[in-house]
Amino acid sequence: MKKSSVRLFVSCWALLAVACLTTTQALNDQQQQPRAPVAQIGAATEVQPPVGKDSVKFLVIGDSGTGDRAQTETAAQMWKAHAAFPYEFAIMLGDNMYGSERPQDYVSKFERPFKPLLDNKIEFYAALGNHDDPNQRFYKNFGMGGKRFYTFEKKDAKFFVLDSNYMDQDQQKWLDNELSRTGSKWKIAYFHHPIYSSGGRHGSEVDLRSIIEPMFIKYNLNVVFAGHEHFYERLKPQKGIHYFTAGGSAKLRAGDIMQNSGMTAKGFDTEQSFMLVEIDGDVMRFQTISRRGRRVDSGEVRRTPSS
Amino acid sequence: MTKLLSALIALSTVFAFACNRADSAEPRALASADAQSKPATNATPVNPPIGHEPGVTPDGKAINPQGAATLEFKKHIDAYMKIHNEAESKVPALKRTDDPKEIADRETALAKMIMTLRAGAKPGDIFAPEYQPYFVKIVQDDFKLRSAADRKALVAELPKNIKVDINTVYPTTLPLETFPPALLRKLPDLPQELEYRIVGRSLILRDVKANLIVDILRDVVPTIPS
Repeated sequence: MKKSSVRLFVSCWALLAVACLTTTQALNDQQQQPRAPVAQIGAATEVQPPVGKDSVKFLVIGDSGTGDRAQTETAAQMWKAHAAFPYEFAIMLGDNMYGSERPQDYVSKFERPFKPLLDNKIEFYAALGNHDDPNQRFYKNFGMGGKRFYTFEKKDAKFFVLDSNYMDQDQQKWLDNELSRTGSKWKIAYFHHPIYSSGGRHGSEVDLRSIIEPMFIKYNLNVVFAGHEHFYERLKPQKGIHYFTAGGSAKLRAGDIMQNSGMTAKGFDTEQSFMLVEIDGDVMRFQTISRRGRRVDSGEVRRTPSS
Repeated sequence: MTKLLSALIALSTVFAFACNRADSAEPRALASADAQSKPATNATPVNPPIGHEPGVTPDGKAINPQGAATLEFKKHIDAYMKIHNEAESKVPALKRTDDPKEIADRETALAKMIMTLRAGAKPGDIFAPEYQPYFVKIVQDDFKLRSAADRKALVAELPKNIKVDINTVYPTTLPLETFPPALLRKLPDLPQELEYRIVGRSLILRDVKANLIVDILRDVVPTIPS
């Protein structure tokens, strides 16, 4: 009886000592190590690493500028994905900032959520959405060079960034001219309003389509990215062109993909998401990652010899 | 003589109307102010003297009244651009910056300067009265061609009963309705500093750099049932 009491007493003290030591160590670690930039998110990320050695790797974000928890967590997941898939730049599909656009909004809706990306010199190239003040084009971090519509090149790929809010004659002439004189292997356009969409709220921008699609076809455009619809949709190729809608990087319109459009190859509208894309020779590989790190779609697009 | 003049007026009106009809069948119909202005410039003075019938020159030649109205609208635009440029010269130039405060400050300063230079501006100062009937017709004809869902989509982004006024800043917390490209092609061209926008049932002219409503034409957009 006496022996067991002594044993119990010693065991308790030993356990207490171990617990104290562990806690002290954890506290020390916390104090010494910089705070991890990634928020704690439940599921493990399912990001696939890139295949090509010298491929063009980029991130696709749409409708992200809310400044709320959804944006913060999705942005954290984007940074987490970077470890496995080291994208070099990000394209923004518009609605870069919702609501007011005061200087502090640039911080809360862009600079803070994407701080790890900015700190690591990942360049952003933004398109304007209908919630964006066109004067965003003067903001250096959006990479627009002071222009509402512009192009940039990354190795084999040329990107045509349009202002779909206001497709006037100047922009149409500019686009025709830019498309006609490019010799790039990959021609990729992105802008805010999808010209093909199964969205219940908005749907396809038929008006815009009637203006720009003939140019896309004439000049063998390969891929189009758009936002506006707050979900992810990969469309069945339309007239030889591959269309993606990725407007759910903070805003989400759950259940908005109409099942009967006949255009959807893959849809995801139950959680925020973003895309990781790699252009590797004649192949473009893509994967779509959810806010919680699930890979909800992936595949590849092959460039046709004629394009 | 009067009969001959009346016949000429009737003929020229029919001719002008037919021209417009033919134009409206074309996708690029009323697209360019320049395109419209050429025949008018050749045929008639910009402002037919008061007392002459519209659509006829003093010497009785047929004119395209829409072309003349377009020229008038263009003159109003040019007058506004003089003010805009003067205002721009008086505020710091906007360059690419990584400081959003610079962008906001410049936008505000430019808007204030234009508001000051245009103190007392009233609706129709830029949307020239001569062209207003055409704006109404072009917008309403365009909306007639659209499906109910399409019409609704064009005004869906903004809250109902939103009130905007001339020489005021466009509310920064509200999105801009996407302007339908097919309609844009039918309206006279604007310099890049200006754009058309739809707000509720109004067509507005917005100064892009200043985020300022510089003119407003009310009750242009047909009522869209919710």
